Amino acid sequence: MQNILACVDTSSYAASVCDLAAWASRKLELPVELLHVVQRKDAVSGRHDLSGAIGLGVKSQLLEELTQIEEADARLQIERGRVLLAAGEEHLKAAGAIGIKPLHRHGGIVETILEREIDARIVVIGKRGASHEFAQDHIGSKIERVVRASSRPILVASRAIVTPQVVVLAYDGSPAADRALERCANSPLFLGMPVHVVMAGPDDQRHRTLIDKAVAQLGEAHEIRATLSSGRPEEVISAVVGETPGAILLMGAYGHLPLRTLIVGSTTTAMVRTVRVPVLLVR
Amino acid sequence: MPDLSSIRRDWFSNPRADILAGIVVALALIPEAIGFSVIAGVDPRVGLYASFSIAVIIAFTGGRPGMISAATASVAVVIIPLVRDHGVDYLFAATILMGVLQVIAGLLRLDLLMQYVSRSVVTGFVNALAILIFMAQMPQLTHVAPITYALVAAGLAIIYLFPRLTKAVPSPLVAIVVLTIITVYGGIQVNTVGDMGKLPTSLPVFALPNVPFNLETLKIIFPYSLTMAAVGLLESMLTAQIVDDFTDTPSDKAREMRGQGIANFVTGFLGAMGGCAMIGQSVINVKSGGSTRLSTLVAGAFLLFLLVVLSPLVARIPMPSLVAVMIMVSIGTFSWRSIKDVRHHPWQSSLVMVATVVIVVWSDNLAAGVMAGVVLSGLFFASKVKRMFAVASHLSDDGRTRTYRISGEIFFASAECFADAFDFKEVLDRVVIDLGDAHFWDITGVGTLDKAVIRFRREGTAVEVIGLNEPSLAMVERFAVHDKPDAEKRLAAH
Repeated sequence: MQNILACVDTSSYAASVCDLAAWASRKLELPVELLHVVQRKDAVSGRHDLSGAIGLGVKSQLLEELTQIEEADARLQIERGRVLLAAGEEHLKAAGAIGIKPLHRHGGIVETILEREIDARIVVIGKRGASHEFAQDHIGSKIERVVRASSRPILVASRAIVTPQVVVLAYDGSPAADRALERCANSPLFLGMPVHVVMAGPDDQRHRTLIDKAVAQLGEAHEIRATLSSGRPEEVISAVVGETPGAILLMGAYGHLPLRTLIVGSTTTAMVRTVRVPVLLVR
Repeated sequence: MPDLSSIRRDWFSNPRADILAGIVVALALIPEAIGFSVIAGVDPRVGLYASFSIAVIIAFTGGRPGMISAATASVAVVIIPLVRDHGVDYLFAATILMGVLQVIAGLLRLDLLMQYVSRSVVTGFVNALAILIFMAQMPQLTHVAPITYALVAAGLAIIYLFPRLTKAVPSPLVAIVVLTIITVYGGIQVNTVGDMGKLPTSLPVFALPNVPFNLETLKIIFPYSLTMAAVGLLESMLTAQIVDDFTDTPSDKAREMRGQGIANFVTGFLGAMGGCAMIGQSVINVKSGGSTRLSTLVAGAFLLFLLVVLSPLVARIPMPSLVAVMIMVSIGTFSWRSIKDVRHHPWQSSLVMVATVVIVVWSDNLAAGVMAGVVLSGLFFASKVKRMFAVASHLSDDGRTRTYRISGEIFFASAECFADAFDFKEVLDRVVIDLGDAHFWDITGVGTLDKAVIRFRREGTAVEVIGLNEPSLAMVERFAVHDKPDAEKRLAAH
């Protein structure tokens, strides 16, 4: 059965992830799977013993010691996770989600999300995880990995959420952007919402044609506005998003190879970082 | 192609801990590499280059991040006769062939064979390895000045007591440094590393081994390469399992096999001996906080740096200090628990363990010991399963029909019990053999059923076989003769 996969951890994004998941649940009429992954402490690198001396029974002793360190930590993490999931469930219920299934798993965050997303229509995650909580204006390292590896659309929650009212579609004519456009036109998620198509680039014939085609494809079902203005994509789009209350940004994601991103940076990453509204990334 | 995130996980998840652990391991690699070069009868250079080259290559090609591979005891003891009889160039050629065989083993997924190596065999292997490492120190401990024993004892004392003072410095290193200072400034005459043969003074050079490339050479090196490959893979698979347990992460065993092969293949061309994963050093690595490929790479690279830059100093290290380190590795490798476990484990398990140890120590060949252990565990298993066999029978009221109800496993070991279950002397019209709870595993079992049915028939008794389960029925249909028309003739031809 299909569902919405909402991923929470102890970061302050948990509440807004629940809000967004509940919104998606109401719109798509799908149940929510609320996932929390227990992150275990890495006992091996956590020990500070460079003595290099090994003696009788070292193998069983070391294994026992590593197990003890991880066991104590894991118990704590599990308790914390339970509390978090219970709070999330409450929150989702209050926000009107249809059917909630909490899920508590061990493992790597990215691996677990990829494993669970098979049944998911949409994956909802926070912009930053607990391990990056204080790095302002960064996006969590795991988000890019999830988005790159995932085959599902990823809804990235910002810290504060108002229920999405207007879709801002960042459009650049790339295949990924075309898929985002298609989703905007067809998904029940955006049914009846006004759409604002934004394109960054000089106002010339080529860009006009592209944006007109996009507007035409969205059809009659939506109230449509289109903006074409020159400038860097992240600036143009965050300006539009900034003056639209209740915006949700919809865009194609990571069209380029990881290597290029390493050198010149990624528009997707920059965008998710700068806008302060939920972003739906479509691969 | 590995993606960026797995590269980050395998290499840079905790660089600080990994680099420190790598340095500690590099120091623990020196004594072993020198010690086993001496055992194998080659220059220390051969073992030290091997440790550098294998560690660095396996960091990239291996399937178990955080495991340390280098020149090892298990391989060194195998090659003694080869070096003695044919010279060191044949060793290089054998190492290259060893690598090729290991890559083939990896491609054939021979790592799956590890399923058949029982826990007792593994324990026996590990204990035998510890004993071999210890015995390899004997030449340094016999016919030497009494001061040598004092130095070894002092070394061991430093290794085990220094960590109580601080755990920030590797205590084996402290032992080596302190003993070197004492012997150099105290003018004490003991064997030093420099006395053992040539040390490396430069980077290793890539060259073909100086042997004739013909069938004769292949005949000489092939048996050695095969044993080296088998022993190397065994120790690597066992060590990988230990590191898997420590870090609670899985490893790619087939990749590890191929990686070991590539490392040995290249190492042979560098004028160095073969090697494999090391239990003791891998434990030291994990204990010091190393868990990624980075620590393995640092261990290899730092080892070479130490040797090339500091070789005049390394040459003055007294052998007793290295003996102390090797004794530590030997003690750390030994499974102390297995001695306590002998008393309350099943006697068969203990016998398998002890047999593995005895055969290895007696033959100097880890592969032979493991083979013997695996065969023994197989036999004990067969004899245990054989006992899962029972017969019940009852005579019908008119005394003319007997029903035998057989339950259990019927295979080569239990076939005799199965045959003995029937009383052929009894005068009957009809025999029913009910096999509802029995399972036929092999053609020996089916053959015994044949014989029984036909013997009954020759006594003039009609036989009915009922209740066979599906797989057993398939076996019987394919291999049995009693249900075929010319049964007697076919049975005679068996």
